[in-house]
Amino acid sequence: MQAQNTLLNTEYSTDAQTEPIEHRFNPYQDNGGTILGIAGEDFAVLAGDTRQTVGYSIDSRYEPKVHDVGDNLLLSANGFSADGVQLVKVFQNQLKWYHFDNNKEMAVSSAARLIQHMLYRKRMFPYYVATILAGLDEEGKGAIYSFDPVGSYEREQCRAGGAAASLIMPFLDNQVNFKNQMDPESNGTKRRPLKYLSLEEVIQLVRDAFTSATERHIEVGDGLQILIVTKDGVRSEYFPLKKD
Amino acid sequence: MFLTRSEYDRGVSTFSPEGRLFQVEYSLEAIKLGSTAIGICTSEGVILGVEKRVTSPLLESDSVEKIMEVEKHVGCAMSGLTADARSLIDHARVTSVQHDLYYHEPIGIETLTQSICDLALRFGEGASGEKRLMSRPFGVALLVAGYDDQKGPQLYHAEPSGTFYRYDAKAIGSGSEGAQAELQNEYHKSLTLKDAELLALKVLKQVMEEKLDNKNAQMASVTKEGGFRIYSEEELAEIIEKLKEKEKEEGSDDEKDKAGEEEGEDVD
Amino acid sequence: MNHNPVNWGRPSDDQYGPYNYQIANASNVASQATKNSQNEFPTMHTQQPMITGASVVAVKFNDGVVMATDKLGSYGSLLRLDDLERMIQVGDSTVVGVSGDISDFQYLQRLLDELLIEDNYDMEQSNLKASHVHEYLRGVFYNRRSKMNPLWNACVVAGFDADGEVFLKYVNLLGVSYSSPAIATGFGAYMGVPLLRQKVENEEDVKKLEKEDAIKLVRDCMKVLFYRDARSWDKYDLCVITKSTKKIEFQKGLECEGQSWKFARDISGYGLPQQ
Repeated sequence: MQAQNTLLNTEYSTDAQTEPIEHRFNPYQDNGGTILGIAGEDFAVLAGDTRQTVGYSIDSRYEPKVHDVGDNLLLSANGFSADGVQLVKVFQNQLKWYHFDNNKEMAVSSAARLIQHMLYRKRMFPYYVATILAGLDEEGKGAIYSFDPVGSYEREQCRAGGAAASLIMPFLDNQVNFKNQMDPESNGTKRRPLKYLSLEEVIQLVRDAFTSATERHIEVGDGLQILIVTKDGVRSEYFPLKKD
Repeated sequence: MFLTRSEYDRGVSTFSPEGRLFQVEYSLEAIKLGSTAIGICTSEGVILGVEKRVTSPLLESDSVEKIMEVEKHVGCAMSGLTADARSLIDHARVTSVQHDLYYHEPIGIETLTQSICDLALRFGEGASGEKRLMSRPFGVALLVAGYDDQKGPQLYHAEPSGTFYRYDAKAIGSGSEGAQAELQNEYHKSLTLKDAELLALKVLKQVMEEKLDNKNAQMASVTKEGGFRIYSEEELAEIIEKLKEKEKEEGSDDEKDKAGEEEGEDVD
Repeated sequence: MNHNPVNWGRPSDDQYGPYNYQIANASNVASQATKNSQNEFPTMHTQQPMITGASVVAVKFNDGVVMATDKLGSYGSLLRLDDLERMIQVGDSTVVGVSGDISDFQYLQRLLDELLIEDNYDMEQSNLKASHVHEYLRGVFYNRRSKMNPLWNACVVAGFDADGEVFLKYVNLLGVSYSSPAIATGFGAYMGVPLLRQKVENEEDVKKLEKEDAIKLVRDCMKVLFYRDARSWDKYDLCVITKSTKKIEFQKGLECEGQSWKFARDISGYGLPQQ
């Protein structure tokens, strides 16, 4: 039977697949790219590279994916870019309605809960994205919320998402949360105490993270867009990355 | 007088040539038949006080519920066809729980009041195909009391016409005219919560036909710290006691004034 | 590397094995007469394009955009249509170049016609800018892909945005979109874009590219595509959108000039000549 011919010969093929693989329209695509959020004492940054890819092709060298969505909130959804764009658009629309209904700015914790619902609504046909939200909490402290594609979320000090997340995250563990760092006086018995990083330190960390990720991951590069949120509003910075 | 309206007062969604919706206006009349309810907003919180009509000595007075909780930080008092309030309060409860679910924060009091009023006009079909929910307008008015971080303690009055206003102090129901006048005299911005408790009972006492006691009245408060809370009969009895003492202290001059006012009402 | 429109939006064969045509060829007609279980199949949506158009190539220059599409409509390897125009002008500030399925392209043409008519009802002066057309198409494509019933196209939208600035952006059957100074669909993404990027790597370079050079660049791309893309043709239409004159001008029925097939003699197989 011809259907049998379409079976892949893998190490599992004998026990796993007896039915033919159905090839059909695939509604998803991986558009590469990486995003990174770090919270400070009175600021938060959300950064992303500006490269958009499909397979080995670079579609665009400058397609920004970190968005200032209003109310001092930064949002980025990295992965399948059409879903990412849609998620941000739907969020901005919801935010507008929130203003009409409640006559106030949306708190970052409320935005996080709302995004959970937007993602979970599509549990059976998910937005294929790693989402990061940045803002300031009620006390004015920097806040980063990270989401999985179906809405599970958590507030963190820092988070990387997307193609090079697995390259950047361990670096962040060490440099932001001081994991595996010891107090040199203590002869390896006491951990280095946590402290807030300054904005300058954070920006340098973000730049280092992205230059390193650019070296090691083909889907990361071209440009680095950093959005910084403080009580005075949102500021944007751009740094070129390697284009190879 | 009523006869002249007869052509236009049947359909709930038919305007009269003067531009009035008689059924909606009649629904406002239904509230004037209801028991009196009073709300007073202070900087420390909001007080709700209602009269319960205990029509028979055999009636269990605590089965008469005229103040209800919507959420931890919101409650409301009602006057009119209290059965109608059930669906409004149900709707308010659903809305506030939903808001907490979607936004992880307590709903704003104004937003909640608006959502109650959205229901009020559902006796006709909606412009965008919403189904007609009721055959007539609601026959009940609500005093919505609550606290939120944005605007602090708040008191709203929601009517069957679907309009709502924010008040410092408001009375609705059969004794509302007299009570409102009295509230206007007595209200000032520096009122404490304790003052408001006494004021609410004092005004209720004046407009009630029966003698005020802890069985035929009910009281609740909303504060930042304690949220919404209905007072127990014992607490209410204490406040009534305090009110009596206060009235004694204030002496005969005040008593005379009050008598004068009450006479004035009788003439109305 | 798979640039054939048939394979757009589909798991690659290298990864998942070859396409199972038995599934795709199942009848999608809910016929009562042929009610044998072999032919029974639930409603089928578009699984592959039929007649297809090849690459769209577009580049920004210092005063606008140049875009080109060839005039061929292929039915598999058959030259089916030889006088196709695959660029649609929408109002006075937008051109949409479309590749992929031709019947879906014609459906898009109807949608855009209706969009323009609606817009003309609202305003006496045209209000519909290229950025709006792009956003509309993104919505159409994304909604259709979300219903698992895609319009099998890749489009390039060029023209002026609401501020009168030059606009150039891509959108495809998945709703994926991006902007870039140089854009090409299909095979053009592999063979056209590198040529275009030699001249315009970023927006700074765009300021240095003159109109005539941009036209020559795009025409060179069309020639290279004709050399190497078996589903392309040497007759094509070209469109020049100029900001300073606010004009959109078409040059229809151009041909690849100065072809030289000398290079072909030494080529066997792929990549470098084998010893």
